[in-house]
Amino acid sequence: MQLDRIIQFFSSLKLTVVCLGLGLVLVFWGTMAQVEMGLYQAQNEFFRSLFIYWKPEGSGLKIPIFPGGYLVGTVLLINLIAAHIQRFELSRKKIGLFLVHSGLILLLVGQLLTDLLSQESMLHLREGETKNYTEADTDVELAIADVTDRDSDKVVAIDYRRLLKPNPIQHEALPFAVEVRKFYVNSVLADRAKDAKEPPPATMGFGPQLVVEEKPPVTAMDKRNVPSAVIELRSGGNSLGTWLVSGYINQPQRFTHEGRTYELSLRRTRLYKPYSIQLLDFRHDVYPGTDIPKNFSSRVRVMRPDTGEDREVLIYMNNPLRYAGETYYQASFDTDNEGTILQVVRNPSWLAPYFACILVSAGLIIQFMMHMMGFVRKRRTA
Amino acid sequence: MVSFCIIDSKSSPWLWGLLLAVLVGSGCQREEVRVYRVAKDPAKSGSPGMGQAHGQPGSRLPRLEYQVPSGWEEVAAGEMRLASFKVQEGSSAADVGVFPLPGLAGGDLGNVNRWRSQVGLPAVTEGDLAKLAEEVSIAGSPGRLFDLAGENPGSGEKTRILAGILHREGVAWFFKMTGDDALVAKNKPLFVEFLKSMRFTSPQGELPPDHPPIDGMGAMPAAASGKDGGAGKPAWAVPATWKEVAAGAFLISKFVVNGPNDTQAAVNVSMSPGDGGGLVGNINRWRKQVGLSELGEAEIRGQVTELETAGGKAAVVEITGSDPQSGKPAKILGAIVGQPGRTWFYKLMGDAELVAREKDAFIQFVKSARYSNAT
Repeated sequence: MQLDRIIQFFSSLKLTVVCLGLGLVLVFWGTMAQVEMGLYQAQNEFFRSLFIYWKPEGSGLKIPIFPGGYLVGTVLLINLIAAHIQRFELSRKKIGLFLVHSGLILLLVGQLLTDLLSQESMLHLREGETKNYTEADTDVELAIADVTDRDSDKVVAIDYRRLLKPNPIQHEALPFAVEVRKFYVNSVLADRAKDAKEPPPATMGFGPQLVVEEKPPVTAMDKRNVPSAVIELRSGGNSLGTWLVSGYINQPQRFTHEGRTYELSLRRTRLYKPYSIQLLDFRHDVYPGTDIPKNFSSRVRVMRPDTGEDREVLIYMNNPLRYAGETYYQASFDTDNEGTILQVVRNPSWLAPYFACILVSAGLIIQFMMHMMGFVRKRRTA
Repeated sequence: MVSFCIIDSKSSPWLWGLLLAVLVGSGCQREEVRVYRVAKDPAKSGSPGMGQAHGQPGSRLPRLEYQVPSGWEEVAAGEMRLASFKVQEGSSAADVGVFPLPGLAGGDLGNVNRWRSQVGLPAVTEGDLAKLAEEVSIAGSPGRLFDLAGENPGSGEKTRILAGILHREGVAWFFKMTGDDALVAKNKPLFVEFLKSMRFTSPQGELPPDHPPIDGMGAMPAAASGKDGGAGKPAWAVPATWKEVAAGAFLISKFVVNGPNDTQAAVNVSMSPGDGGGLVGNINRWRKQVGLSELGEAEIRGQVTELETAGGKAAVVEITGSDPQSGKPAKILGAIVGQPGRTWFYKLMGDAELVAREKDAFIQFVKSARYSNAT
């Protein structure tokens, strides 16, 4: 039967070997690719993908040439489960092996879930500063904030990936459509000469005074792409004007439409929290008489208005703050030692590897003990 | 057997595959448009917590004017600070910062104990705090001064912190000098004088509310005053369309220019001993005032043109940005004239078209200035 053949294929040991071999090549290739691509892009293209694509320059083609991390991992997982179901019997004798395999399956599933569900961001705080949001390290968003109300702003945040897709962008929360005329992944801005012949990039806000120049995207870990975009807002078939938004422009650009005031900005994606964190003190201790770091620590205050929680926590190397499903690690600091940078990780499946290791360890111990007891028994009878 | 119970459902690998496909699929579906409501950004409502520098667009904090003690060098303020200074004597150094924080900013006790821990001193109680505080005048109001000396727990170096605290209109103002014990102790009288010299003024002056903030002395050192600096007002040819107005306590001169459609621009002239914070620091400060980000030294120098004036060479820069409040185009024309021991700052700022129109008049004005003791 065809179904049996498929099950046979997925439970075959040869498939395991092929997957492990492909995994080896993938890890080696992906690691080497980081030199050119940088860590983030290499992770996405080699490990967080079903296929590795070859994109011949100028052709616009994407030709799959090698299985990516998701595909190899998924097939390996299916292979492990299928082999387990087909070959193993749940008997007392094999309980140890059963636990070991369950642990491995949990490890693979947990890793997949971590990859799919975890979210990393950064929290930069100066001493005394309080924030109730963290910022994505690599992602940006076009934020359109209705700032008319006195106490709060209504923000429509459009992920940059949406800006790259077909336009215009219409949303029920916006009284106008957003059309992206051009998106620059990496760019620089400069003042526009008074007698410049080329038309300005945009008609409103900073647009008439600036020129934007596209730059090749950078991938090195110590460099950052600064995106810019020229956007047009349209309402009822009429254009409200074009704006140049950019990571270089700190000041949100303000305009009024139908009696309401809006602010436009292209910024790092913000992730708001129901609590705030204030940096009370950052410490960068060194060994006496040297510049060798001894300790980095951030004393923070966690404030949550809905529960009345207000407490101090010390975050230092290997001692992160775990709060509300997020983990705040001491990651970096400002050169003047008066500001801290915390890496914020949300990983709902962070316990999976711990449980997986417990299962594998317990399985190995049980298996080993059973063999040892059998051996001892044999010796006694002899 | 359990295993056969599972395998009875022959489609189980497919179920697993389906589950994984759903997971992979759902993981790739990021939320493209998010809508949420947030409390007003404190950075825009006057909180320095978001790195509002002095005179930066959007700031609703009062402007601060002060006398910079001799030997202190004003440096770029950076995030959180309204002003920043460096004091260097041989290998000893100290740092002075002015930090306005909204509300009680953690309370005086919390802050004093934080500073005490930075010099290895034990925490104190509220009762002890009153005994530790020295009375001091800050901007004409009674403030508290804390003098904390000890050893830096990290480096073991003798360290002293002088901290002045003033609560004013819902903002806690912290003036903090940190550094080498002996150097900070020696500078204490100067620090106290510095606190006394503080003056709070309206952030907008006499300009209309939708006008870009016109930089009075801003972070320019107050000792720039020609009245007591001995330099006096230079002799210059003022364009006929410029109207001289009251300069304020620490400006040498101030002119207002009116344009069509109620547009306005202002010319501020100030002087600072030394380099007044340097070319790069000042141009970056001006850039921020029209909503532009800071540039590196090489880029700044690439944008500066040189101008021969009666008082020496001037560095001229043209910065075009946007009015932080109205979003309308705004422009700054700046000229920095370096002379032995002092620096003169000329700034024309306002409506972009008006500033462009007044450019030639401004250049002629800067060129015409003759300084009392200039060679």
